[in-house]
Amino acid sequence: MSLPPAPAASAWPPSDATIVAYDVSKSFGSLVAVSSVSIAVQPGVSALLGPNGAGKSTLLRMLSGQIRPASGKVWVAGGDPRADAEARNRIGLVPQQDGVFEREKALDVVRLAAILSQLDNVEERARWALGLVELDPDMTRPVGAFSKGMRQRVKIAQALVHDPLVLMMDEPLNGLDPRQRKQMISLFHELGNRGKTVLVSSHVLEEVERLGSHVIVISKGRLAAQGDFRGIRGLMDNQPLRFRIVCDKARLVAAQLVAQSTVIGCNVESDTQIEITTADARTFRRSIAAICREHDARLEEIAPLDEDLESVFRYLVGAGG
Amino acid sequence: MTPFFTLYRLFLRNQLTTGRLVLIGALTAIALIIGFAVGTSDPFDPVDAATGIVWFFGIGLMVPIISLVLASSALGDLQADETLVYLWHRKTPRWQLAAAAWLAPATIAVPATAIGLSLCAVLVAGFNAKVFFGTLLAVVVAAIVYSAAFTLLGLLFRRALIIGLMYLFIWEQFMARAGGGAATLSINTYPSSILAKITDIELFLADRSIATGVIVPIVISLLALFFTSWRLDRMDVA
Repeated sequence: MSLPPAPAASAWPPSDATIVAYDVSKSFGSLVAVSSVSIAVQPGVSALLGPNGAGKSTLLRMLSGQIRPASGKVWVAGGDPRADAEARNRIGLVPQQDGVFEREKALDVVRLAAILSQLDNVEERARWALGLVELDPDMTRPVGAFSKGMRQRVKIAQALVHDPLVLMMDEPLNGLDPRQRKQMISLFHELGNRGKTVLVSSHVLEEVERLGSHVIVISKGRLAAQGDFRGIRGLMDNQPLRFRIVCDKARLVAAQLVAQSTVIGCNVESDTQIEITTADARTFRRSIAAICREHDARLEEIAPLDEDLESVFRYLVGAGG
Repeated sequence: MTPFFTLYRLFLRNQLTTGRLVLIGALTAIALIIGFAVGTSDPFDPVDAATGIVWFFGIGLMVPIISLVLASSALGDLQADETLVYLWHRKTPRWQLAAAAWLAPATIAVPATAIGLSLCAVLVAGFNAKVFFGTLLAVVVAAIVYSAAFTLLGLLFRRALIIGLMYLFIWEQFMARAGGGAATLSINTYPSSILAKITDIELFLADRSIATGVIVPIVISLLALFFTSWRLDRMDVA
């Protein structure tokens, strides 16, 4: 875990990294979308995390070769994806935009991808890829008549059809229902376990938590953090955090909490609700249950108020300078 | 199926929208109505009348407008709906993408305009070999070169249709008619010259040889194809 990483020439990038971006930047007019980002992604599932407008899509587009970095270098699966068609063909890309060829059938869209990747067994591969995302290859409806979730799965199928070494997906879980999300996440893990590099961008923290342990956090176009997700959450725990506590003896519990050295702020909002600020979230979580038990208070809820994505970024950006 | 043919087929399918078919049908109908009206009015010189109609309405309006509407959308529509990336990101060479995007609109524009305008010429002048084959060659050359140029235009500009219309009406119909130098820079000059030379009818500023009338459009088409491929290679794709 590093905040932010400062790549040392000797140790960076890791020898098994399949995606490497070194000091890449990109601006659109006066808007700096990505600024001096260096990342290395190894096989397995990694998540590119950031709030909307953070620069995730721009970074992903530079990594996939869709846009040329204003400065810096990108290396993916053995080459520069902008200049090297073979390197580009080792990438499976799920772009963010909703549009797929509206008038075509799902099988035709995936078949098209297979033909353009110059595969031999086009029909077989296309049916296999649609099967992976649980779509019926024989559907006669055009993609334009599909739900957002079904289109998303067509996009994933066309990215998988040539069995790429690297899979880059921009918000691929958007529009999927919970069951489909679960199924896709397990498919990504299966691909990661087979040695593929799966890079998934998302702005939903919960989603990222389920996706994988390796995260790259982008905020305001800069790399805010890169490393193990649990490490980032651990760092969060060491910061002053706010919690809402709902229990039936709020005033009594609040009086006990104030006496704790880890609690640095306490506000009784009603007879059943307290908002506290703690400098040590782990110790606080352990002690609150004991206090309630000791005073026979019924604890109904402990809700972190700072674990939403914006708070994570606020902290990380602050910590990362 | 080869990648090139697959791309060509995809572009061709995308071209065939109701609106475009209505436009082609309407312009063809106008050409036939004009041909019928002039032909039945017993013109003083039918060859001159047929050549004039094909030159002014056909090569001046119908062919470039149909080519513009079709070709500017070939890559332009894919850019607008952001589906170009699905073709662009594969390893198929850029020139194949460019060539398929050019050939698809040309496949529709060439027969649509050549059949309509040849029939128009026949309605005015009867079957006169010079007028018929002059019309056929001039229109085919015009549709091919305009398709190539407007395919590039569609890739370069979001508002390619408006820019194309401005080129046709301001440059070709107005500025280029100011003199020979400006006419050299007008696509219209070359197919018009083919028509003028084959029919032996003098047309304004259409004074190039048949060879020049054919070769220059071929060169323009190849240059447009080259720049379309180059642009595809250099551009950022959403």
